[in-house]
Amino acid sequence: MNEATVNGQQRALTGIGAHTTALDWLRSCGLTGAKEGCAEGECGACAVLVAQPAESGRSAESGQSVASGQSDGADGADQTQWASVNSCLIPAAALNGQEVVTSEGLGSPADLHPVQSQMAANGSSQCGYCTPGFACSMAAEFYRCGRAGEAADVDGERSTDGAVTDDGGKPADGAVPADGTVPDDEHGPNGFDLHALSGNLCRCTGYRPIRDAAFALGAPQDDDPLAARRRKPAPGPVATDITGDDGRFVRPATLGETLDLMAGNPDATVVAGATDFGVEVNQRGRRDPLLIAVDRIDELRTFEATDSHVEIGAALSLSEVERKLDGRLPLLEGMFPQFASRLIRNRATIGGNLGTGSPIGDAPPALLALGARIVLVSPAGEREVDLDGYFTGYRQTVRRDDELIKSVRIPLPVAPLTAFHKIAKRRFDDISSVAIAIAGEVADGVITRARIGIGGAAATPLRAHDTERALLGNPWNEATINEAAAVLGAEGTPMDDHRASAAYRQSMLAQALKKFHAENDETLEVSA
Amino acid sequence: MSEILESTEIGRPMVRQDGPAKVRGLAPYAYEQPVQDPLHLHPVQSTIALGCIVSIDTSAAEALPGVVAVLTHENAPRLANTDDAELAVLQGHEVGFRGQFIGAVLAESPEVARQAAAAVVVDYEAEEHDADFRADHPQLTEPNAATADTFDGDVDTALRAAAHTVEATYTTPAEHNNPMEPHTTIALWDERGLTLYDSTQGPHPVRQTIAPVFGLQPDQVHVIAPHIGGGFGSKGLPHANVVLTALAAQRSGGRPVKLALTRQQMFTVAGYRTPTIQQVRLGADDDGRLSAVAMDAVEQTSKIKEFTEESGQPARMMYATPNRQVTQRLARLDIPVPSWMRAPGKCPGMFGPEVAMDEIAEACALDPIELRVRNEPESDPETGKPYSSRRLLDCLAEGAKRFGWDRRNARPGQRVQGRWRVGLGVAASTYPFLRQFSEAKVSYSADGTYAVHIGAADLGTGAWTALTQIAADALGVSAHRIRLEIGDTALPVASVAGGSSGTASWGAAIIAAADEFLAKFGVEPDPGAEVQTAAPRDSAQKEYAMHSFGAQFAEVCVNVDTGEVRVPRMLGVFSAGRIINAGTARSQFIGGMSMGIGMALHEQSVMDARFGSFVNHDFAEYHVPANADIADVDAVWLDEVDPLAGPLGARGIGEIGIVGAAAAVANATYNATGIRVRDLPLTPDKFL
Ligand SMILES: Cc1cc2nc3c(=O)[nH]c(=O)nc-3n(C[C@H](O)[C@H](O)[C@H](O)COP(=O)(O)OP(=O)(O)OC[C@H]3O[C@@H](n4cnc5c(N)ncnc54)[C@H](O)[C@@H]3O)c2cc1C
Ligand code: FES
Ligand code: FES
Repeated sequence: MNEATVNGQQRALTGIGAHTTALDWLRSCGLTGAKEGCAEGECGACAVLVAQPAESGRSAESGQSVASGQSDGADGADQTQWASVNSCLIPAAALNGQEVVTSEGLGSPADLHPVQSQMAANGSSQCGYCTPGFACSMAAEFYRCGRAGEAADVDGERSTDGAVTDDGGKPADGAVPADGTVPDDEHGPNGFDLHALSGNLCRCTGYRPIRDAAFALGAPQDDDPLAARRRKPAPGPVATDITGDDGRFVRPATLGETLDLMAGNPDATVVAGATDFGVEVNQRGRRDPLLIAVDRIDELRTFEATDSHVEIGAALSLSEVERKLDGRLPLLEGMFPQFASRLIRNRATIGGNLGTGSPIGDAPPALLALGARIVLVSPAGEREVDLDGYFTGYRQTVRRDDELIKSVRIPLPVAPLTAFHKIAKRRFDDISSVAIAIAGEVADGVITRARIGIGGAAATPLRAHDTERALLGNPWNEATINEAAAVLGAEGTPMDDHRASAAYRQSMLAQALKKFHAENDETLEVSA
Repeated sequence: MSEILESTEIGRPMVRQDGPAKVRGLAPYAYEQPVQDPLHLHPVQSTIALGCIVSIDTSAAEALPGVVAVLTHENAPRLANTDDAELAVLQGHEVGFRGQFIGAVLAESPEVARQAAAAVVVDYEAEEHDADFRADHPQLTEPNAATADTFDGDVDTALRAAAHTVEATYTTPAEHNNPMEPHTTIALWDERGLTLYDSTQGPHPVRQTIAPVFGLQPDQVHVIAPHIGGGFGSKGLPHANVVLTALAAQRSGGRPVKLALTRQQMFTVAGYRTPTIQQVRLGADDDGRLSAVAMDAVEQTSKIKEFTEESGQPARMMYATPNRQVTQRLARLDIPVPSWMRAPGKCPGMFGPEVAMDEIAEACALDPIELRVRNEPESDPETGKPYSSRRLLDCLAEGAKRFGWDRRNARPGQRVQGRWRVGLGVAASTYPFLRQFSEAKVSYSADGTYAVHIGAADLGTGAWTALTQIAADALGVSAHRIRLEIGDTALPVASVAGGSSGTASWGAAIIAAADEFLAKFGVEPDPGAEVQTAAPRDSAQKEYAMHSFGAQFAEVCVNVDTGEVRVPRMLGVFSAGRIINAGTARSQFIGGMSMGIGMALHEQSVMDARFGSFVNHDFAEYHVPANADIADVDAVWLDEVDPLAGPLGARGIGEIGIVGAAAAVANATYNATGIRVRDLPLTPDKFL
């Protein structure tokens, strides 16, 4: 039988079709804590927790190839983590055999969960519509292994009594420190990472009472059932075949089965994290006859770091990739926090990002700068293609219909100087107007390596070949950079729309290159 | 002047009564109300902006399994009253704006309803529409229902003679309220009439509006709304979605009908803030005394229904001047119907003038706070009445001290830190005191608790909590002995949760009922003792000008390379009379200020005049502030009681937080960069 464990209870996955969302199914079960605010992954009102395999950063160190769906063999092995995800985008069928916790399942009927009691005590809800989603995202961070875990001694300023009666007040020296960095306040004193809440919107509170609650959280108690659950393996993928009026959803057990199914059904649609696909279903009424879930295929979830390359499985979520890389590739490190929100990153895969082939996707420019190659697999075997040349037109690629993206291979060593800049309208939880990734090397004052990937500048992600040529072999100085920046401005044909004008997009690309120079200038002088 | 209630519970930061249910996800919103065997509705929306429907083919939609009925103007039940064109849903073949409801599908599931709605084929005869909003629109007209123009003295002559002048055009874009809960209604007809579970800011106002539309007596309409997921004005009055649902429920065979608008639909049928173009002219003498204030505002409204955003209001009353001109003109367009959004009129109307004040302060070589000190009126410039309280200068002084205003360099563009230019800005804030008719009932039960009933709504403002505190003090008991019930027309009449008037209006009714109860039954009543009464009318509002005031301070960083604007720090200091609950009040102020940061940095509904529709109609493209956009935002208030503002001495806090916030941020960006941006939002390209 198809069933999921929701708040500790087995529930049959009945009455669902291939395109029914997890949100609709949960709500039809009477669990209305998760709510719909947008049905497109933007607001987080629908957030719920799912049990995912935990993995630790360096577990697959040098050469050890590991499928994290199974055993990691190292410290993260056979453990579970609670990840907060957008239930409005996930197919309900994908929950088969999985464990889900909604806001109703946090705490017990008698006692609020620590996250809930902090939220209630700090007045974190006004209208409360966003609240259950925030509670789930906050709980995921509460349970994150490695969070400092100590409750913050909430400072006096946060007291709720705002009446002006004393002569106190803020120190006059303001919030901007003299070193010129704008304070990001991204972590609480208890190690709480505010990015955990980046995919949850609240229109009422101004976020402050929510942050106050987050920063007041301590560590989970020993007898906390969700904390204890982390010490056992996450539920494995369960082969699934569900047919409804609207089509069929299949989760094959093996890669072989997947490829056969694809070969036999040219009209089949591959889904991984469904963060792109779910939007299509909800907003454009997309209904496909056959959905093939690939997000838990072991061969697509490998992670390997050797001396010559890093290989990233296509079905790893961005959050998983971030943790596994553990800072190995600073260029990608710079991309992750700017990619959508934590909620989306917990589901969105690298393969999906390349599969969508959107001209404003964030991974392609980064991977182009890293010189990545794509491993494609079909019943005929594997082939490797250069990402530069992979995109052939608007959402068109060289991938054949019977091929899956298996992994992304990044050759090492990466050029020592890298940068990723994303220009968006909002700091987080927003797609790019333009994005640019740069990787370069300077030896004896001369630019010896330069690779630049750009997004949002044409119908496909682009490698900025002309700009690279303007840099290579030339002296690392302002004149070269200015010349190259002028070339960069002319690469592609950026759009002019309500997000940003073409001129602004162009000038931002050029700025990014100049900034890259300015930021690395000093380092180089010192080391020279 | 009424007697002021002594406070024990009032003023405490009592935790939200509804907090535990909300953090568990158990508080029921409209969609979650338990009803038997509901049908689901999905609207069909027009794809032209002006013209009429020639034919509408519903056969493909009707043929889909699970479709119960497809409603169009040809077969929909007739409404009894169609005076309000926004609510006259499916009553004719004319189309007045793109996205207007022209049909609806009733089906067994939301998916089928949606799929079927897409299968309806409509043939139109389109007429040339006009959705082009501009100051030189050829047919600008005076509003029919709005404050008349103000002409005091002679502005033009005064400006010619002034030592310093500022004459500039400021614009604010269209903005959408975007409460997190989409507008939702469940409608059910039975022998008693119509029951509506609705996400509304006012159950009673919904009843009063909807009853005549369907030819019913008010008591035949029962509206239930215990929890509302925000509104910010868009749920202040029922929109077409409520009528559509009730209409469809007449064809459901007695089954309840559910409609939750999608986020996208909310951009066309649920109201929005009109864009404004503000021509502001200020004249000042060498001492910085304003010799002239002129504000000529142009706004848009829909041709099918007039709504005036009274953005001229603040210019009439903020500062003293002998010569004043304030006008408001409307461009009537074939566009969605605008409506209330948090601090209508005041919010956009304080943008242009408060930025202009910053500009004239610089022209006069005065600190912007000192400029405001020099132009403080003795009595209300608009009416000549004395103020019940006007403590703008106290707010400015307190804020200046707390914010470190003395560190501001009057010369713009002086403070650079790394790749960021840093600046400070200030603007004033104001919101009028309003009180509306409301009634409350108090009864005593054997278990020692007092039931307090009032048909008010808590859309997140904290009414559940604040009214409990008020009732406790009014009855002289502790809060745990109060059992409050709100959110239902079965409860006594209460005004809309709007105009920041809710707490004062409902609180006064509860106090009146409690007073009468105590007078009649004393402190040891018999179980069953009960009193229902309305708050007495207040004469103070006739004799006094009653407004809240505030000062908004912002620190911004503008990126040298990208032009990106961030607001690391913001402080609001407010004078709003008595604060009922320190916790919920602070959250209201900060929430309003944060929405003001959204207005300053991101929010803008972009109209594509070729089609007459908003382009960026979802959360991916219409950006409300996210967590990372709101850094250190804080609000404090003057510890005070307004003895003239009813028995609570409270003037209301829901809206003042947003007023002036965008101007403070804009003024700070000027201080940071020397670039004066007069058009919201403050997008990066404007600083390069
Ligand atoms: C709110 C929101 C914000 C977003 N923000 C960003 C952002 O900032 N930057 C950004 O780049 N993207 C963003 N996206 C888009 C999306 O999240 C990414 O493109 C994501 O990487 C898609 O991965 P997925 O696993 O969810 O793909 P899915 O939706 O499952 O699939 C996407 C497409 O890829 C194909 N596909 C998936 N896996 C494979 C495979 N292994 N082989 C072949 N084809 C495959 C599918 O058939 C489908 O066509 C956002 C989306 C949402 C909803
Ligand atoms: S409903 Fe908004 S993210 Fe899912
Ligand atoms: S409390 Fe209303 S949206 Fe967050």
